[in-house]
Order: sequence, then C-alpha cells, then structure tokens
Amino acid sequence: MTQTIAPHAAPLTAVPTPASAPVHRTGLRGALSRTPGRLRVAGVVSVLAAAAVGVIGLNAGLAQSEALSDADADTTQLVGIQDVRNDLVVADATATNAFLVGGLEPPEQRARYDEAVASAANGLAQLAGSNAADAELLGQATAGLTTYTGLVEQARANNRQGFPVGAAYLDQASSVLRSDVLPQLDELVQANSDRVDASFDSVASVPWLLALGILALAALVVVQVWLARQTHRRLNVGLFWATVLALAASIGGAVVLGSAAAKAGDARNGPYDATVSVSEAYSLANDAKSQESFTLIKRGSGAAYEEQFVLKTDEARELLARPTVDPALAPLLDDWVASHQEIRALDDAGRWDEAVALAISEEPGAPNDLFEAFSTAASTSLEASAEVTHDALSGSGGSSVLVGWLMLVVGVLAAVLSWRGISKRVEEYR
Amino acid sequence: MTTTRITRLGLGAAVASLALLAGCAGAPAAAPAAQERAAASVDLPATVPANLATATACDDGNESTMSYEPAAGGPTVDAIRARGALHVGVSADTLLMGSRNPLSGQIEGFDIDMLNAVSTAIFGRPTPLQIRVITSAQRLEVLEKHEVDLVARTFTVNCERWETIAFSAEYLTAGQKVLVTRDSDAQSIEDLEGLGDQRVCAPEGTTTLERLQETYPGVEAVAAPTHTGCLVLFQQGKVEAITGDDTILAGFVAQDPYAKVVGDAFSAEPYGIGVAADQVDLVQFVNGVLDQAKADGSWAASYERWLGALGPAPVPPVSVYGRVDGP
Repeated sequence: MTQTIAPHAAPLTAVPTPASAPVHRTGLRGALSRTPGRLRVAGVVSVLAAAAVGVIGLNAGLAQSEALSDADADTTQLVGIQDVRNDLVVADATATNAFLVGGLEPPEQRARYDEAVASAANGLAQLAGSNAADAELLGQATAGLTTYTGLVEQARANNRQGFPVGAAYLDQASSVLRSDVLPQLDELVQANSDRVDASFDSVASVPWLLALGILALAALVVVQVWLARQTHRRLNVGLFWATVLALAASIGGAVVLGSAAAKAGDARNGPYDATVSVSEAYSLANDAKSQESFTLIKRGSGAAYEEQFVLKTDEARELLARPTVDPALAPLLDDWVASHQEIRALDDAGRWDEAVALAISEEPGAPNDLFEAFSTAASTSLEASAEVTHDALSGSGGSSVLVGWLMLVVGVLAAVLSWRGISKRVEEYR
Repeated sequence: MTTTRITRLGLGAAVASLALLAGCAGAPAAAPAAQERAAASVDLPATVPANLATATACDDGNESTMSYEPAAGGPTVDAIRARGALHVGVSADTLLMGSRNPLSGQIEGFDIDMLNAVSTAIFGRPTPLQIRVITSAQRLEVLEKHEVDLVARTFTVNCERWETIAFSAEYLTAGQKVLVTRDSDAQSIEDLEGLGDQRVCAPEGTTTLERLQETYPGVEAVAAPTHTGCLVLFQQGKVEAITGDDTILAGFVAQDPYAKVVGDAFSAEPYGIGVAADQVDLVQFVNGVLDQAKADGSWAASYERWLGALGPAPVPPVSVYGRVDGP
C-alpha cells in the first residue's frame, strides 16, 4: 500500500514522512507480512505451547508432592500432639484416682502415671524438634508440665505423711494442667489441623493446574489449522505428533495427579477423620475420668465435676458416632459410662465409701477395668488409622514427582517436534 | 495489740482463749490422725491477751452467741430420723477440726466429733454421717438451700450470719492469730504492716478475710478457696503469712515444721453449729446434745484428742440461751 502525503496538507510542525513507499519492510511487522516470517512466529508459538505443557506438568507434580508431604508431616505432628495430650490426661486421671486410695498408692497406678509422664515429656521434645512453628507453645506446655509434675509429687509426699494439704496440691496440679498445658496443646492441635486442611485442599486443587495445558493444546491446534490453510496440506507431521504427545501427557498427568488427589481425599474423609475423632474422644474420656475422681475427692461438692463428666463423655460419644470411626468403640465407652453411673448412684445415696471402693477397684468388670478396655481399643484403632493415613499420603508423593518430570520431558520432545515440523515449511521458501 | 475491743467478758470464753493461746507454738510436728502428739507444754505467753469478747450485741436485741433453749426435738429431727442419716457440711482439709485422714479415708476432727454426738443422739446409736465436703464460702448457702442439716466447719457465730441462718450455742472458742515462717521476727499483723510488701492469706468467705481487708490495709490480703489453699501458697512462697483461727493454724503447724503461730489472739471466734433458720427445733436438739457433751466429759475428751497441742482442755464455753426472734 502506498500513500503520498502532500506537504502542504500537514501542519507546520509535522515531520514530513518520506514519500517513497518501501517494498521490503523490515522488523517484526515486516517479517509478519511475509509467509516465512509468519511461519517462524507460528513455530515459536507452538514450541512455547508444547514446552508450557511440560512446565505446567512439572510444577503441578512438584506442588502436589509437596502438599502431600506437608499433609503427611502435619498429620503426624497433629497425631503426635494429641498423643502427648492423651498421655497427660491419662497421667492426671491416674494420679487423681490413686489419690482416692489414700496414702499408699497402688504400684501399678504409680507405674502407669510415671509411664504417661515420661511419654508426654518425650513427645513434647520430639514435637518441638519436628516443626519450628510449634516450638514456642510446646515450650510453654513443657514448662507447665514441669510445674505439674512438681505439684503432683508434693501432693504425694504430703499424702504419704497423712497431711490433708496434699489434696490441695493435687487440686492445684490439676488446675495447672488445665490452665498452663492443655490449652497450649489444644491451640497447637487447632493450628496443625488447619495446616492439614490447607494441605489437603492444595492436594485436591493441584490437578486443576493442568487445565492450563488446555490453552497450550488449543494454541497448537490453531497453529495447525492456520498452517493447513497457508500450505494447503492437511497435516504437518511434526506438529501433529507434538499435539498428540502434549495431549497424552496432559491426560496422563491429570489421571495420575487426580488419582493421588482422590486417594488423599479418601484418606482425609476416612482414616484421617477417624484418627482425629478417636484421638479427641480418647482425650475427652480421660479428662472425664479425672473429673469422676474429683467428684469423689470433693465428696458431695462435686456437682460441677459431674457436669463436666457428662459434657465430656457426651462429646466423646458424638465423635465416636462418626461414620469413619470403628463402630466397636462407642459401646465400650457406653459400658464405662454406665459403670460410672453405678459410682454416682452409690455416692448420691450417701454410700461414699462403697462408691470409692468401686471407683478404685481393679476387678474385672469394675469401672477401671472397663475404662482400660475402652482405652486399649481406642489406642489400637488410633494407631491403625494413623498408619493408614500416613501410607495413603506418603505413597502418592513419589508418583506425582515422577509424572511431573515425565511431563516436562514429553513437553520438551513435543516442542522439538513442532519446531521441526514448522522448519520444514520454512525451508520450502528458501 | 488491740485492747480497745473489750466489750464484754464471757467467763468461759476468756478461759478458753487463755488455754488456746497457751499452745500456739507447740503444735505437733506431724501426725496423720493427730494421735502422736508432742506434749506441747508451752509456757503461757508473758503478755496475757486482752480479754476478748466472744459475743457482740446484734441489732435485733440478741447477743450473737445467744441460741435457743435446749429441747427434745420436733418435726425436723423426726424427719432426719425417718430419713436415716444426718446430712452435714464439713471441711475435709482442716487438720484437727475436720480433715480426711489419707490413711483411712475417713474425715475426722473436733467438728466431726460434735456432729457424731448429734447423730448418735438422734438415732440412739452411732450412725454414719452423710458428709458433704464444703468450702468456707459455701457454708451459708448449703444451709439456706437446705442441702444439709448441719454445718460444723470452724463456723464463727456472728450477727450478720444470724440474719440468714441459725446457730447452736457456742461449742468452742477460737482466736484469730497469724502464722509466719519459723525465722520471721514478726509477732503480729501490725509488725508485717511495718515490714511493708507483705502478703497475708485468708480463705474466701470468712470473717478472717473481711477483718484482714478492713483492719490491716498495710498488708496485701490474698484470698484462697480454702484454709489449706493458704498453706499451699505459704509453702510456695506466694504469701508471707496466713491469718486464721488458732485451731486451724495449729493444724498447719502440724503439717509444716517451718511454720509458727505468733502473737496473741486479736479476735475471739465463737464457733457454733450452723442450722437452717427455719429449723429451730433442730437447733434446740443440737443444744441439748452439746450441753450433754460439755457436762459428761466427752467434750473435754475430744478437745484433748484433737486440740491437745493448744494446751489442756479448758472449761467448755458456757451456753447462752434466751434468744427471742427479733422484730
């Protein structure tokens, strides 16, 4: 297209445009005006599109693997914190129950308390090492635990000498546990459970990244359609195979990442949910057991403790009723709660001595025995479901990474193929 | 020491106060059931305490320690007899007065002995009490709500409490004192005020805490749920001193050899058994039982057993009767 601009028609300040119309324009616009230039641009577009499929795939694979391992680590941390919390309430339930016995506490109960405290202390140190974000609260909990055990020992020493001040120390120990240790752990449980949820969410959303691959595929198809029009040939072999590879890689990646996401989703709605629910229920039941002992220690003024007992066991029952939880656990809890009613009935009827005798009895079928049956079953179920969750999360991460790298390789291959396909057409113009 | 508070001298009360004061520093080192008692024959303090009055005149025209004439009982007593157990509110952690013996699991002490005497009189034979362990702050409430029949928990008789509940005749006269660490030079709360920055503990809902806050602004009053809660704070160094009735402090010294009770009593605390205001027949019945115990030597035997560290059993407080319900 040529145009002549009359100098007089332009304003005085206008720079006169050279009147000569160029036959060969240079630059991008120039290149685009000619077929080989356009072909080269089409080549670049298709190479980028093919490579994009690979890069997206690698990113998706790595992101999912990371999300999976985060979910796994946070789940492990969460279960670990709940374990510590459980150890502590077990210790407290044991200490208060032993207190009902009097100055001479049964050696088995003492051993159970020692074991629970040792396990809690160990757990706290390990947890602090495994996630720096939790370290501060864990430090506070550890400090609280030190105070707690000190007070329990003081209660014990006084009790052993027959001093009633022992009961006051035990009381203080229990309230320190409930004000300086358990709230910190509960906060950590919440934080970790939020993190686990976030990780699960990203595991599930990562496969959607591959949808970006559709744009790349669309670009490849558009280039081919344009090329077919330009060259009057139906197929460009290089571009065709590049498109097939990119499509196959995208579909394959979506299948593998999607199935990993589905597997993680199943774990989240199955064993993970069961782990968290049973662990919480177990903790609540132990807490309730401490309250039961206090209703008797307080002798007649324990109404507030009994209220807590009912509240906590109701909550535990609700958690155990979830569909993911082993249905055998709820009846065991109910058996124990029923035996607690017997203790209450005796105490309410003024038969305090008999109520205490029942509460501390280690006979088969006694409340302590039934509680033991429940806690053993709950711990076993807890360990099993935590293991299943871990397997589901740790197994898929590797395949996600592998798929990511494979997609990159395929993407690069497709890029090479599409460049070669275009190059052949370009050569025809030389 | 305050000597200006003398309003009236009850003979029995004065004798009891003297006797109680005698043993202030000589509580036993340790004894689960307080059987193993160091023969604490402590010399009488050089400063004979002020003749503190146990009774004050109330607005309704009665003396605070004045109760209802003894009688053989009535509908309330019959109802208890029909029920089969006397319901009582007591302390489980006030050594010597009412505390759980960790070895036997039983609650025992001077207050418990008095209640057992009432239970035995009602049923004609020793009958286990139905015990409810309460804090000091719960004492009025459990009677007002009729949750228990009697409260014997180092319960000081005073005019204000007479407004909502009734009391038996006085069965023990305690005196408020102060407990400090063994190496302290303080002899009174005034001394502690002089030292500055001293924290003194007393249980919630007690006359002790009120007096501490009102009379001694120079010390920081710290409240604990129970007397024993104060001992825990004391042992943890969170308070420098505890103030309370000498009967209670004696129990603390028995549990902690690094504690000592100092000075003279600066108030007289007449103990009565609390009864719901509308159960006058029960009050009258209890008074009959207490008079009997004071007369037949069982009161003195109980005193010797639990409070022997405070000195030989004094003459029991004289029961004062003739209460007329106020206008």
